Amino acid sequence: MNAVKNRASLSRSPRKFAAVISAALVGALALSAMPAQGASTPGVSDTEIVLGMQLPQTGAASPGYNKVDDAMRAYFDYVNSKGGVYGRKITLVAKDDTYRAGLTVSTASALINKDKVFAMVGSIGTQTHISVIKDINRRGIPDLFVLSGYSGFYTDPKKYPTTFGSLGTYVVEAKILGKYIKENLATKNVGILYQTDDFGRNTVEGLATAGVTFTAKKNAATFIAGTQAGGLDAQMQQLKDNNVEVVVIGAVASAFATAVGSANKIGYKPQYIVISVGSDATTFQTILFTKGIPFATSAALLAGTISASHAPSPGEADDEFVTAFKKINDEFNKGPSKTWDNNVLQGMNIGYTMTAALMGAGKDLTRPGIIKYIENNPAKLSSAALAPLGYSAKTHEAYTGFWIGKYDAATVLKPIDGTRKLWTTDSAKGPVTELKYTRPAIAADALPKVG
Amino acid sequence: MKLSIRKSIAALGAAALVATGVLVSVPAANAAEPTCTTGPVAIAAGFETCTGTLANGAGYQFKMPFNFKGTMFFWEHGIRWTYPGASPVPTGVEQIAPSSVNGNFDISKQMLLAGYGLAAYDGTVKGLRGWNSAYRIEMIKEVIDIASAKYPKIEKKVLYGASQAGSTITPFVEKYPTYADSVGIMAGVTPSIADAIQSACDIFYILSVFADPTIKGCTAFGLKGVPGHMASLGELQKVVALLGAWSTNLGAPGLEYPAALKGSGIPQRSSLLLTGLLTGVPTKSAHMDGISTNAVIVEHSINATVAILENIGSAIGSGVLAGQSLSEITGAGFYDNTKTNWASLLDEGDAGRYNLGLSGDDGINAMLGVLAMAPRVTGDAAAIAKFKALDKSSFTSKHPTILLHNEADRLVFPGQTNRYVDRKREVYEKALSSWEKTRTGKKPIWNTLALWTLTPETYTKFTAAGLPDLTGPVAASGVDHESFTKKQLKAWVDMLAVSAKSGKVPTSAYVQYIAEKVPYLNGDLDYRPADLKYNFGY
Repeated sequence: MNAVKNRASLSRSPRKFAAVISAALVGALALSAMPAQGASTPGVSDTEIVLGMQLPQTGAASPGYNKVDDAMRAYFDYVNSKGGVYGRKITLVAKDDTYRAGLTVSTASALINKDKVFAMVGSIGTQTHISVIKDINRRGIPDLFVLSGYSGFYTDPKKYPTTFGSLGTYVVEAKILGKYIKENLATKNVGILYQTDDFGRNTVEGLATAGVTFTAKKNAATFIAGTQAGGLDAQMQQLKDNNVEVVVIGAVASAFATAVGSANKIGYKPQYIVISVGSDATTFQTILFTKGIPFATSAALLAGTISASHAPSPGEADDEFVTAFKKINDEFNKGPSKTWDNNVLQGMNIGYTMTAALMGAGKDLTRPGIIKYIENNPAKLSSAALAPLGYSAKTHEAYTGFWIGKYDAATVLKPIDGTRKLWTTDSAKGPVTELKYTRPAIAADALPKVG
Repeated sequence: MKLSIRKSIAALGAAALVATGVLVSVPAANAAEPTCTTGPVAIAAGFETCTGTLANGAGYQFKMPFNFKGTMFFWEHGIRWTYPGASPVPTGVEQIAPSSVNGNFDISKQMLLAGYGLAAYDGTVKGLRGWNSAYRIEMIKEVIDIASAKYPKIEKKVLYGASQAGSTITPFVEKYPTYADSVGIMAGVTPSIADAIQSACDIFYILSVFADPTIKGCTAFGLKGVPGHMASLGELQKVVALLGAWSTNLGAPGLEYPAALKGSGIPQRSSLLLTGLLTGVPTKSAHMDGISTNAVIVEHSINATVAILENIGSAIGSGVLAGQSLSEITGAGFYDNTKTNWASLLDEGDAGRYNLGLSGDDGINAMLGVLAMAPRVTGDAAAIAKFKALDKSSFTSKHPTILLHNEADRLVFPGQTNRYVDRKREVYEKALSSWEKTRTGKKPIWNTLALWTLTPETYTKFTAAGLPDLTGPVAASGVDHESFTKKQLKAWVDMLAVSAKSGKVPTSAYVQYIAEKVPYLNGDLDYRPADLKYNFGY
């Protein structure tokens, strides 16, 4: 009895169900129920590669982040318009987890079992991704270019062999900013506001490695991630009362925006130094807008804030990647908001790097194959970033270098002394040194060339 | 909001705790021939019902349909108690087929219609109560012998059961491999029970540190008979009172105890959440999906905390009753936590995912620090040794074995099924490796299948006041113990029947096909919920 006949029979009557199911099973029991090994690669056919992504498309955590998937898809659509990768078009299936980990778990299951994705790409969020990273790795699914800087995801590839980052780690960034603080703000009273989780812990760790330490309840103010919506008045008051002149922010952008709002209310105007994911201008301004602060005012509040980046600023009109990506964005982005900003730039860059990885892994695409390729060929995975990718068998950290900048009145991050200088270090105890790196040029067709 | 705990546990009261039980010696006699009658013809083809008693006096029952197709199902029920108070005293064969606790039905009618013969027996005959797996191994054999003698037309035998049955069925088929052609374990405690009870005892211990220092938990177990039963129920009552108090305010007040954390700003619910996460209590429950939020349940980890609140009463209830039963085998002092590393029991993913509910890294560190410093329980070496040696099995059975488990079973945590599959896989891979060296004899086949039933994605309902509604209908699937839909149960027994004939579990493709037809039956054979917290080996 073949499967088609079974399917038809099952709909006849409940009474016959048992007999039919039994008969059907007899024919189906040729093999045991071990998960298929060595079968065709999930999510890959002769004509298509299916990729999955998880992000907050809606909800309080969505502003800014909810543009990344559309940007990535726009780049893939551009690639598809050029014939795809080895004749296969790239399909991105993005699921909204609203930044609630329970939905991250269920949407991951849907991507794996229903959408049959080949790999996860560009998933956003530390607290959400930590809920699924173990399972994704256990299944051997490539977990590529995760948008989280938490070092714990990447620095031990034996623990998470399939996971690769798409940001520099918070530790690396904090070490580099720490060096800047030690060299330029040593006379100031430097404090910190951080969230007491993986992100904040990474930040404090990196700063401490650079020699910048804090005293709890005095120049170190904390909050539990997720509570910032209720305001950070007490924390900012604490820092003000302790005469903190420079506030390092080791927190997400919604918290930074809230902190600035709280400080503004009490006339407290310290110099802010913000880990980059916390200083995203779009998120910062959108959140303050929901609190009744006009965009012009929030732009002024952001101006002067120091942060870091591994990539060109989206406002750098003369950057060849920015130019190329903006053009693709204009033509292919079908999202509800394709306004060019750093989120769009990052999404498009992940699409570009992912395309490079798919090309490099070859026509006979397999999950182990692409992991091995990325691990062994970071230099061939060109991107818009101004620092090289650090992937190796020892670490799956992405960008190991940052430049330090300051936001101008137009919310553009610009090199702090007018000259961009790149710094590099590791997520451990290594020194911070200057990085000399020349980014490979983008091709005329804006497609990666992996040689 | 009222805490919803299983009626059997919530109904605890002094009036109910009437001491009536006295151990009765096991009758030694020969089993009598079964007495048979023709069953109701509401079942289209009709059936014969036969009853009788085993040599030790235990009742058994057969239901043989007139359209019998050759496969007899032998049901092995879970733990039952013969002391009053927490649950009714068993009166004989109460289950003839798989049933659903929440649905209040069994599938005997559907199975008889399909032409399956049914058999069951009372595993808690006088004197053989509590954790009696060792006794029951020989009782099953006797039931199967009687059925086989009466019905020579039996061609295939399926041995299946629920919960404690895992600890009986697994060693049984290893001892008597010809007595079953396929094996089904639903929500099973697959050896060893010690791994599970250690976590139940941890729940008591952690609650004693954070909430009520008068809780003695598993250290109060060990007395035999009614006094021991009463003592264990007294411990359970303390926890029920605690959970009841928390249910009125969602655990929002700050921790009052221990002194080190008083005034820390850590709410009681953070310690409850930590208790659940350290012990493996599911973070979804009958009414709480771990996701849904509103103005009162402002984020998902509070939803998960209420789920733990709803689950933990039953988890600890089963821990008490099973633990007390075990203590009568091991003697007092089987629980020891002198070497427990509490921090290692907190999964990295849980610490991140529930960071807010746990009051952030600072809250986590403070609570783990208090636990690390708290006086430990030192057990009795002999009792501990007996405890860890309970119900050991080799997992060498080659029978097609199909497990069925809810993803959020609050009594027998899903990690039990993971453990069973892991054990079987170890044995299989070792056998395969040996075979590959010589390539002689029959090549080992992988013959174990774990079926999982999942919850809907979201199902929490809120009252008009915004509080979680713990009184409405429970989730459609995936929660509670021994609670499945008719379609899920029928799919399981059908697979067992066909596996008995073929000698192999169904293919992954077929499972996926069936999963598309049976709501919430997971077709993902790679699915793996959280593991048990302990592994004492086997």
